[in-house]
Amino acid sequence: MSARVDPQFLTEIKKYGAVNIEACFNCGNCTAICPLSTNGETFPRRIIRYAQLGLKEPLLSSKELWLCYYCGECTRTCPKQANPGEFMAAARRYAIASYDPTGLAKALYTSPILSAIFLVLPALLIGLGIYAFHGPMPTNALKLFDFIPAGIIHNFGVIGMILLAVLLLAGMVNMSIKVKGEKTPGVHHDWMRALWETLIEVLTQQRYQQDCETEADKPVWYLQKWFIHASTLWGFLGLLVATALDYGLEVLGIKATGTWVPFWNPIRLLGTIAGLLLVYGTSMAFVRRIRKSDATSTYSTISDWAFLILLWLTGVSGFLLEIALYLPQPGIWAYWTLLFHISAAGELLILMPFTKFAHAMYRAIAIYFHALKPVPVAEPAKAGAD
Amino acid sequence: MDNLRIDALIIGGGIAGMQSALDLADQGFQVALVEREPSIGGRMITLSKVFPTLDCCSCITTPKMSAVAHHPNIHLLTYCEVQSVREHGTGFDISILQKPRYVDVSKCTGCRDCEYECPITVPSPFDRNLGAYRAIRVPFSTAVPQKAVLDPEYCLWCGKCEQVCPVEAIDFTQQPETFNIEAASIVMATGFDLTPMETKKEYGAGKLHNVIDPLMMERFLAPTGPYGRVLRPGDGKEPTSIAYVQCAGSRDETLNITYCSRVCCMYAIKQAMLISGALPMAEITIYYMDIRTFGKGYEQFYQNAKAMGVEFVRGKVASIKEDSDQNPIVKVEMTDIGEIVERTHDLVVLSQGIIPASSPILRGGSTQAVSLPLGSDGFIYVPAPDSAPCVTERAGIFVTGTAMGPMDIVDSIISASAAAAEASAYIRENGNRVEAHKEALYA
Ligand code: SF4
Ligand code: SF4
Repeated sequence: MSARVDPQFLTEIKKYGAVNIEACFNCGNCTAICPLSTNGETFPRRIIRYAQLGLKEPLLSSKELWLCYYCGECTRTCPKQANPGEFMAAARRYAIASYDPTGLAKALYTSPILSAIFLVLPALLIGLGIYAFHGPMPTNALKLFDFIPAGIIHNFGVIGMILLAVLLLAGMVNMSIKVKGEKTPGVHHDWMRALWETLIEVLTQQRYQQDCETEADKPVWYLQKWFIHASTLWGFLGLLVATALDYGLEVLGIKATGTWVPFWNPIRLLGTIAGLLLVYGTSMAFVRRIRKSDATSTYSTISDWAFLILLWLTGVSGFLLEIALYLPQPGIWAYWTLLFHISAAGELLILMPFTKFAHAMYRAIAIYFHALKPVPVAEPAKAGAD
Repeated sequence: MDNLRIDALIIGGGIAGMQSALDLADQGFQVALVEREPSIGGRMITLSKVFPTLDCCSCITTPKMSAVAHHPNIHLLTYCEVQSVREHGTGFDISILQKPRYVDVSKCTGCRDCEYECPITVPSPFDRNLGAYRAIRVPFSTAVPQKAVLDPEYCLWCGKCEQVCPVEAIDFTQQPETFNIEAASIVMATGFDLTPMETKKEYGAGKLHNVIDPLMMERFLAPTGPYGRVLRPGDGKEPTSIAYVQCAGSRDETLNITYCSRVCCMYAIKQAMLISGALPMAEITIYYMDIRTFGKGYEQFYQNAKAMGVEFVRGKVASIKEDSDQNPIVKVEMTDIGEIVERTHDLVVLSQGIIPASSPILRGGSTQAVSLPLGSDGFIYVPAPDSAPCVTERAGIFVTGTAMGPMDIVDSIISASAAAAEASAYIRENGNRVEAHKEALYA
């Protein structure tokens, strides 16, 4: 393969972070210290090399970008303090921007003004839009879905979801085509197994837990990065499931959404626990970024903050709503909280393909391709062996 | 000790200091050489061979040591430390501390009877603590001066040495003494230390059994070494697989040492060659980032080592661990082929770099006796390194050898002569020479 060296490429990636990566002298320390790097899928040095040489396609085809959980070991030990871990994060941002067909992700990452506008506008529009259809706010009993008719949420939701799905799919297909590479004829892959492994990894974050926290002086489990990350993820997934189940009950005609259920109701319980996990995870992530606890939380882009803040706001406002449901005399604030909650959640979903949120899909795809191993082909029986 | 008036004070009795002293003394200047150890010779006298000629180090150093000791224009002040330096007109007032040897040097003949009798064995820093000597001893076989010295830290005060000394030289009552030197100029030849590894926990923070520093390997390879052969300090086994980890403590911002120490590539290659001779069956691997063969004949030397079968692997070693048999395991990305490997060796040598011996890193930031501005790398600051490399910020004070920056023996000797020439010009210019020009007695 011939390639053209393009020094501009590094400048491009540096727009997404990659503080000091030009200092890298390619010693390989980072790759050898990285607990997740393995032969055949080495990183970060090789990926840094792509960036230095301007090999854009190989970089964008690297599932390795997403196999890194940013433990920061490489950054801590890099003899040039070239910040390879931060480079990986920047390269992921660059990849998110490149897989996104709309160009919005790029704008969000690289232009503070555009991102500011884009961060406030959708939420405002959603809020105003829904408010335009709002109903009464009775204070004698909390009737959330009198205030905002479930149908409205439903309609907005469906339109949003379809749009989102198209964009997400575009990104995912974009990435998959690149990462998949050439198909070798005659080789079959065990995709069932790969899917299963991906599911397990996404749900348990095993690699993060076992490989990434290699530090001898690691803190208690609930302060560890993997737990903070996992609790955010579990919280998010839990809430998603709880909402879907709740909606499912309505579809089945068992009960209407948003009506009172005892707190021990399994769905409610799931929602409560998930909410707690989400708020804990995001709050801790906040604290780490504000304190710049270590190399991995030192550099934050606007997009990183936006994602975190929205998650946190959605979690906290959802929680307030739940409290309101159990209060004998909830105030008028409960209705405003609902409006806020829906706007924040809507914004979060809209931003999914364009912000750090997208890592959830891209990482899963990368893990899938990482787990995808050829099925060993049975040796054809040798005829007439002596 | 009587006070002295001299033309030049050389601080440090290693190869650079000795060369400067000899050059100045040969020109008829009155020179004093202060050395904090009981013998001169510095680092070089502990080394095996020099690169790239593979000449024997002691064969080069010992004659210089004797020349210094016997030169009529050189006052040799061993086991002394400079306490303070004050400017005095165009010259300097220097206060020197003579540490007690507990041996009367005017009587001691170096017969070593005391040493043979002393019941206390202590690790010998001359042998990088791989060997041992007695609480009273002549520091090493070719020490200059050949005078015994007693180590009060370990001494039992049993008096055995006093009983056997044929010339009654043992003197338990000696006290530290201070005396003054008035000097027209000073040459700093304070030398280097190895970069400390305690903070590099990826390399075992100095706690792994069979991971050694390069000066230890020099002692293994030196004919005067503690065992006369190469073995693992952990269990005395003969190693069959030896690895060098280059840039261990150089070009590493995590250790705050960003410069290249210059000598490590060459000494590693040299040691690899010598090991090939000492242990012909041993496999030797050098893990490196770049091989820097900057001097005359160095590149050829490197090519020879390759031809001899020394393996060179490009990649910065990321970590060294130890298996249950205390074998060090090296983890590295072989960057040429992009593969991560973990390899077990019997012995690992960390090619540690050079920091100034007066480094604040080692002295916990305490002030130096001679206050001179230091460069950002910790070495003595030289305002015009490319036109007057030995001239420091303070008029009349010159610097040479590894006190200036990392350099090899050849460059140390060159810079020593350069510093001597600068000092000589300075002394003449200022016209305050101690004595009129004498014929050089040693040519
Ligand atoms: S990022 Fe640092 S550790 Fe990695 S290859 Fe570059 S210089 Fe070496
Ligand atoms: S941050 Fe951690 S996982 Fe990512 S490349 Fe660096 S060492 Fe590997």
